[in-house]
Amino acid sequence: MTSASMAAARTTDVMTGRVPSGKLGIWWFLASEIMTFGGLLASFVLCRFKAGGWEEQAAHVSTGIAAFNTLLLVTSSLTIVRAHAAAERGEREKAAKFLLYTVVLGLSFLSVKAYEYSGEIAHGFIPSAGLFWSFYYGLTGLHALHVFAGIVANFALYVAAHRVAVWPKVQQRVEYAGLYWHFVDIVWIFLFPLVYLS
Amino acid sequence: MTAESHHPSYLTIWIWLVMLLLVGLVVFLLPIGKAMAIFLIFAVAAVKAFLVARYYMHLKSETVLVLAIAGLPVLLLIGMALTLVPDIVFNH
Repeated sequence: MTSASMAAARTTDVMTGRVPSGKLGIWWFLASEIMTFGGLLASFVLCRFKAGGWEEQAAHVSTGIAAFNTLLLVTSSLTIVRAHAAAERGEREKAAKFLLYTVVLGLSFLSVKAYEYSGEIAHGFIPSAGLFWSFYYGLTGLHALHVFAGIVANFALYVAAHRVAVWPKVQQRVEYAGLYWHFVDIVWIFLFPLVYLS
Repeated sequence: MTAESHHPSYLTIWIWLVMLLLVGLVVFLLPIGKAMAIFLIFAVAAVKAFLVARYYMHLKSETVLVLAIAGLPVLLLIGMALTLVPDIVFNH
């Protein structure tokens, strides 16, 4: 299928209201992810109200570092949506450029997170140091794993964008990768105030 | 849904997201009551999530099927949170 015919097919999807199976699949997956993270966040809130000494432990996390990480992730949402828009316009090289920006921003997020973890572990705040720290490492670690998975997907698309023969078959996947990446961003949008600001 | 057909300026949404991030941090630093600060911080987070979902994930112009798939787990989560409220309030 050529780029032009794929774009025509997508336009038909939009006009008929038919959802492409790939998009349906990613939305089903995201629905299950909402329940996974939602359950964890609800457990966090419940335990926070019930367990004592929580605020003393939470006072040791770095709000400044986490705010910087939030900025990185929000900016990566901008770059991935622009990659999506470029892919739909058939601008392969521009899509590749924005995919690369997203990968770099994702790696920066993980690097900052690793720096943050190392400081906390050096001060003895390991997962077994208390209930807050168990939740902290569980929630942020699971989120970081999702960021890593998104980086792998975005990088695979970046590589595919450099192969002219392959690109028409995979260019629609930029939208799917973008949906996943935005979801990861939304999870962090709630994790940040929950863990660092409250 | 196509990215091109309905998007406002993506950069404008990003600027709003950054501004809301700063608002959240300012509220965190303000000497107001803890309950009010937490309420405001999570209200700001909800607005940020709404902007990302509506404009970056294009839920603004999605089909009913996609909206149902995305909305149902959110409703279930809200239901679960409301169910937990009595446990928190009466045992705290």
